[in-house]
Amino acid sequence: MLGYALVAPVVLWRLATSIYPFIYTAYLSFFENSPIGQVHEFIGFDNYVRMARDPDVHDTIGFTIFFTLTSVGLQIVLGLGIAELLTRPFRGRSLARAVNLLPWAIAPIVIGTAATWIFNQDYGLINDIIWRITGARPLWLIHPTSARFAVTITDAWKNTAFLAVIFIAGLQGISRELYEAARIDGASAIATFRYITLPLMMPLIISIGIFAAVYRVTSFEIVYALTQGGPGTATALMSYLVYLNGFRVLDFGYAAALSMGLCLMVLIVGLVGFALLRRSWTRST
Amino acid sequence: MATVTTAHEASQPTTRRPPRKLLYRVLFYLSVLAFMAIILVPIYYIFLTAFMPGSRLFSTPLNYFPEGLNLDRFRIVFTSLPLGRYLLNTLFLATVSTIIALVVSFLGAYGIARIRFPGANLVLVGLLLSSALPGVATVIPLFQMYQTLHLMNTLQGLLLLYVSALLPVTVWVLVSFIRQVPSEIEDAAKVDGAGFLQLLWRIVLPLVSPAIATLGVINFIVSWNEFFTPLIFARGPNSKVISMALTEAQVVGSSTQFYQNWGNMSAVAILATVPVFLVTLIFQRQIVEGITSGAVK
Repeated sequence: MLGYALVAPVVLWRLATSIYPFIYTAYLSFFENSPIGQVHEFIGFDNYVRMARDPDVHDTIGFTIFFTLTSVGLQIVLGLGIAELLTRPFRGRSLARAVNLLPWAIAPIVIGTAATWIFNQDYGLINDIIWRITGARPLWLIHPTSARFAVTITDAWKNTAFLAVIFIAGLQGISRELYEAARIDGASAIATFRYITLPLMMPLIISIGIFAAVYRVTSFEIVYALTQGGPGTATALMSYLVYLNGFRVLDFGYAAALSMGLCLMVLIVGLVGFALLRRSWTRST
Repeated sequence: MATVTTAHEASQPTTRRPPRKLLYRVLFYLSVLAFMAIILVPIYYIFLTAFMPGSRLFSTPLNYFPEGLNLDRFRIVFTSLPLGRYLLNTLFLATVSTIIALVVSFLGAYGIARIRFPGANLVLVGLLLSSALPGVATVIPLFQMYQTLHLMNTLQGLLLLYVSALLPVTVWVLVSFIRQVPSEIEDAAKVDGAGFLQLLWRIVLPLVSPAIATLGVINFIVSWNEFFTPLIFARGPNSKVISMALTEAQVVGSSTQFYQNWGNMSAVAILATVPVFLVTLIFQRQIVEGITSGAVK
């Protein structure tokens, strides 16, 4: 009895604010529902059919895949690089580790908003540096491809710190004796990384990669602030489409169906990640 | 010395000639410098945009040297928007949601970790799965519920959702922490006739206090940085948070120049960021422990 009494607040809290609303979203996705004119009418799979044909959704799926793979890839490579740097002893290391935490602490909405002028063509920080080196001032947010990169770079800038912190802990967990043995065998730095660090870090890289991928698929703020999904829908993510359809167009039924589509995407990422993780476990044992 | 040789010094023992080692050190420090610059320069640029007259900063090329620093932008955003109230709301929500989430999670985690009852693992798995649900997958029914229950645009309404978002991770970390603490001390206290609440307060809480501190700091930052929830549920100064002033600041004051809008937004960005920077720098160790405790076990 005591056990149930202790978990009851947590369970009730989550039931009321997460699980019940989720089930109700699934239910709403089969309805035409809007606060305008109090519409609530059962329409079967119509919202899903509409979703499958919606060109905005096709754009969004394409960008979500690009964004997730590129941003998570960047975060893993840069995160490992930063972790390699910050696990070596040098003067000012604790300062560098503190600096590493700063992007993690800033709210994504603040970073997304600041990025709107950091990527400005004439007076943005990025173009100022590019112009000093090459004399060119690329347009970032006007063209689909460069806008996609702008969103991805901004996201990677914010979130690499998180992975780096975890990778630092992972590297510190690798036995010094292994490196010592590699040194005696005359292994090069690259060989040491390739044959010792990387295989031992792989399960951690994959599990954190899945976690990061799920967050990319569901992210909202950077796109909301930086590009509003544009140009057109080149940088729209599913959360942003749900927001647009739900709270600008007030088409609750369709927004509900879109958010079920997003849950399916999260599920796919989770399953692919789990399969990868199992493979890396069986390999390492 | 030999045992503390680092990985890069350990490489290539046969060719460890001084010039090569020097080159290695130069490259190493250049990488560290590049890393610091990539993080710090954009932050510095945001500060300049807020404190420096735009006419001096936004020349071609940009003038990164601070000149004529002033508080004009802050004065403008503070006089035209209720930022004091926004900041107070943000602080209230972050602090109170952190405390409530810790109390509720501590009780739940103790129940799961120590009192083995049927369904305990189901609760853990359910929490994990529900935490993977994206915010937009629950927001429409919540919006309808909040309108019926008159929770729109109220701090208590936001608080319910802020706490909810913190619960899954907080419970998970506390469960794994309590399971690592040997239960003999609690058994001894029970034999001595300690009541249940006394046991929790006097014995268990001190043992898990490092985890409580870590989660407290991280949860505070997470709640401070919330944006999507207030965007949907906060409609006025009663409940709006500081980050919502970012877009509002764009259109206030007699800003005729683009850089005045940027200056206003930067001022708000700084108000929204400096508190979390301070918390981060003061509680660095707890944050690193918190981030890694969820991942590396």
